[in-house]
Amino acid sequence: MHVHNLPAEPFAAPRGADRGSSDRQPVVVARHVTKTYGRTRALTGVDLEVRAGEVLGLVGHNGAGKSTLMRVLAGLEACDEGTVTVGGRETSGEAGPRAAAFRGVRMAYQETSLCPDLTVAENIWVSSRHCLPRLRWRRAAGDAARRRLGEMFPGHGVTSGDRIEDLSLAQRQMVEIARASLVDRLDLLILDEPTESLGPDAARSLYDYVRGLTAGGVAVLLISHRIREILSVADRVAVLRDGAVIADRPAAGLGEHDVLTLMGAQVADRAGSEPAAAAAGEPADRPVMAELRGATGSGLHDVSVRVGAGEVVGLAGLAGQGQQEVLERLWRPARRDTRVHGSRAYVPGDRQRSGVLPLWTVAENLIVTAMRGIARHGLRRPAEERAAVGSWVERLSIRGGPDAAMTELSGGNQQKVIVARAFASTADLVLLDDPFRGVDVHTKTDLYQLIRHEAAQGRSVVWYSSENAEMAHCDRVYVFRAGRVVAELAGEEISEEQIIAVSFAESDGEQSHE
Amino acid sequence: MSELLAPALPALPTRARMRRTAPAVVSAVAMIIMIAVCASLQPDVLTVAGLSLVLSATVPLVIAAQAQMTLMSVGDIDLGIGNFVGLVTVVSATTLVSSPATGALILLALVAAYAVLGALIHLRRVPSLIATLGASFVWLGLGLFALPTPGGTTPEWLASFGMWQPAGFPAPLLPILAVAAVVYLLTARSTLGVRMRGLGSNPVALERAGLRPLASRVMAYAAAGALGVLSGLVLASQTGGGDVSSASSYSLMTVAAVILGGGSFQGGSAVPWGVAVGGVTLGLVSVVLSLLDVPTNMQSAVQGVIVLAVLAGRVVVGKVLR
Repeated sequence: MHVHNLPAEPFAAPRGADRGSSDRQPVVVARHVTKTYGRTRALTGVDLEVRAGEVLGLVGHNGAGKSTLMRVLAGLEACDEGTVTVGGRETSGEAGPRAAAFRGVRMAYQETSLCPDLTVAENIWVSSRHCLPRLRWRRAAGDAARRRLGEMFPGHGVTSGDRIEDLSLAQRQMVEIARASLVDRLDLLILDEPTESLGPDAARSLYDYVRGLTAGGVAVLLISHRIREILSVADRVAVLRDGAVIADRPAAGLGEHDVLTLMGAQVADRAGSEPAAAAAGEPADRPVMAELRGATGSGLHDVSVRVGAGEVVGLAGLAGQGQQEVLERLWRPARRDTRVHGSRAYVPGDRQRSGVLPLWTVAENLIVTAMRGIARHGLRRPAEERAAVGSWVERLSIRGGPDAAMTELSGGNQQKVIVARAFASTADLVLLDDPFRGVDVHTKTDLYQLIRHEAAQGRSVVWYSSENAEMAHCDRVYVFRAGRVVAELAGEEISEEQIIAVSFAESDGEQSHE
Repeated sequence: MSELLAPALPALPTRARMRRTAPAVVSAVAMIIMIAVCASLQPDVLTVAGLSLVLSATVPLVIAAQAQMTLMSVGDIDLGIGNFVGLVTVVSATTLVSSPATGALILLALVAAYAVLGALIHLRRVPSLIATLGASFVWLGLGLFALPTPGGTTPEWLASFGMWQPAGFPAPLLPILAVAAVVYLLTARSTLGVRMRGLGSNPVALERAGLRPLASRVMAYAAAGALGVLSGLVLASQTGGGDVSSASSYSLMTVAAVILGGGSFQGGSAVPWGVAVGGVTLGLVSVVLSLLDVPTNMQSAVQGVIVLAVLAGRVVVGKVLR
């Protein structure tokens, strides 16, 4: 058992003494790395160097390519072009979870990569079996896990025989980080949002441990959207945007505001849309269509959202900060804090899983929600249905026509059908759950126009999007962070820079709440 | 320092642990009640010979249930195990008698066929339900081809194992406990078991750690095939002949036994001791019903009701402990 033979120097090296020095050995170097999934270019040419004995902070907004870059650096996926060098050896072509070159590169995942039905010790075996004895591995793995957890998170309360499913979220995260760090020779430790579910004490002791690791010559790549945390821990900060590293600065002397400026330096592209501000009247004058008043619980904290008739309301911020919970409340207004007038329609984001009915035709997919409204005495009226379908197919120029099979359509056209399904119904309130992910630009432009047009007819739209540029098409935008509304932007205030600024700002109190 | 001492102390039954063992405990209670009912109707049941008689019918079912549990731990379900056990009885009643070496080879080939089935399921991404259902017709066809009508004899050694009557303890307990112990070592203690349960629990984590899910699944299927062969041999030793449809009810009974023992359809957990209890409980139901003089044509229905009642008890206990 040599997993605990980690460099054990005490955490003595004065941090910051050699901050920003570039004479250290690079551990992992990425050069002109690109990666394409289907039509999306996730990485457009990344140059990044992680050096021994330093903490490199990596920041970037939704879709900047963080997770793809991490998978490439950890050797889980090969890059399309460019090279990744680990410890001076080029690894092109040699990637995948079994690549030997990446043995010393370990990653702690945000959503954890533990098997919930296995015990802590068994999970350690799965990921660190190379450094465990063949016999009595269970005891060795349990000892290693207990020792490492004790070093990292004193008072963690985890025993090696506990099953992961019985642990709390924070404890699972602790086990995941300990799991990643347990290897005979650790070169680079990648931490993906490690403190997301940890309390402040655990986060502090984790970062103390990380400093000890780097003092011993290990490189640490820290991904977090808590910019203050990154600035206080990292030696260098790299900013990722649109699949490339656009800035790489020493953390010393860098302020939170500077990082935010670097992340949102480009101006939102609003071409092809009518200015949203034109449609924005005074929100207060409109009759209220739906309302959340101080909603708390199931991921939300004191959220108040108001949707007026004929208004397009955006829900923005980093993914998973409570936006979908708001949509869920509006869709099923079961609690007293939610009031919704009129009927609703829902456009799911994951069209493969909850959107399309793959065996049905375009016409059937499109009309399924509106069918009941058109029918008379419970009997369908095919002529009227066909007319409605025809007008929508024409209006959105859905390729293939009404009789095409749903699965023959491209992703963009399928999405058009699903959006048309919601708007073809008589619903007063349309809920959009990030529906335009991975849809091409032309389709998006068509759909943006459709949304504005329908809003002008008096319909209300609540629109969650992970793409901040899309929010420019809204009348008002609520920005979410950790289940709270941290800002409400209206009209001209809505811009990508604003949204990024408020969604990352570590607000203690309320910001720009009118 | 309390962290260092903690694991040295015997682990207290936590709420989580109680919740996991609750189904097996409910089944065990049901089993004890059934034995008590048997004993009140027929006091001889509590003698060694009586217990042997009562338990012997459950042995092949329990072993087949262990095979089912192995596959359910990787998240699959085997609907072909019944006919597979039947096919093994046919082989042991025909080829294994006439030319033992060829017969043994055929049995090994059957185990290999299970491994290949697992590989196909993994590589072609066929639902295991469909693939094993298809395979069950193959087993049935092969069995009917080799032995169109029930019959044949049993190899001497197998028959003498069936007749074995040790003094002091009921003979069927030995295979039940031995197989459960082996399966426990395989699925719960060994690294292979970790890989199999990891596959049922979170295949992505397994893949990221550099372990091959294909190898885990193939090993699970091979183990299930071996247990299926064992179950068939034991069944043949008791019936004294071969009949391909003699165990066709096992396909679903074994699933019920695993669920009674605390397994789940999601995969990830291995409960060999619970399955042993669940299998015996299920097998005892028909014994109790015959002792109670329930008409044979009503037995299936009553058996189903009893299984549902035990499952309902499991659900209630699970809710209380949550």
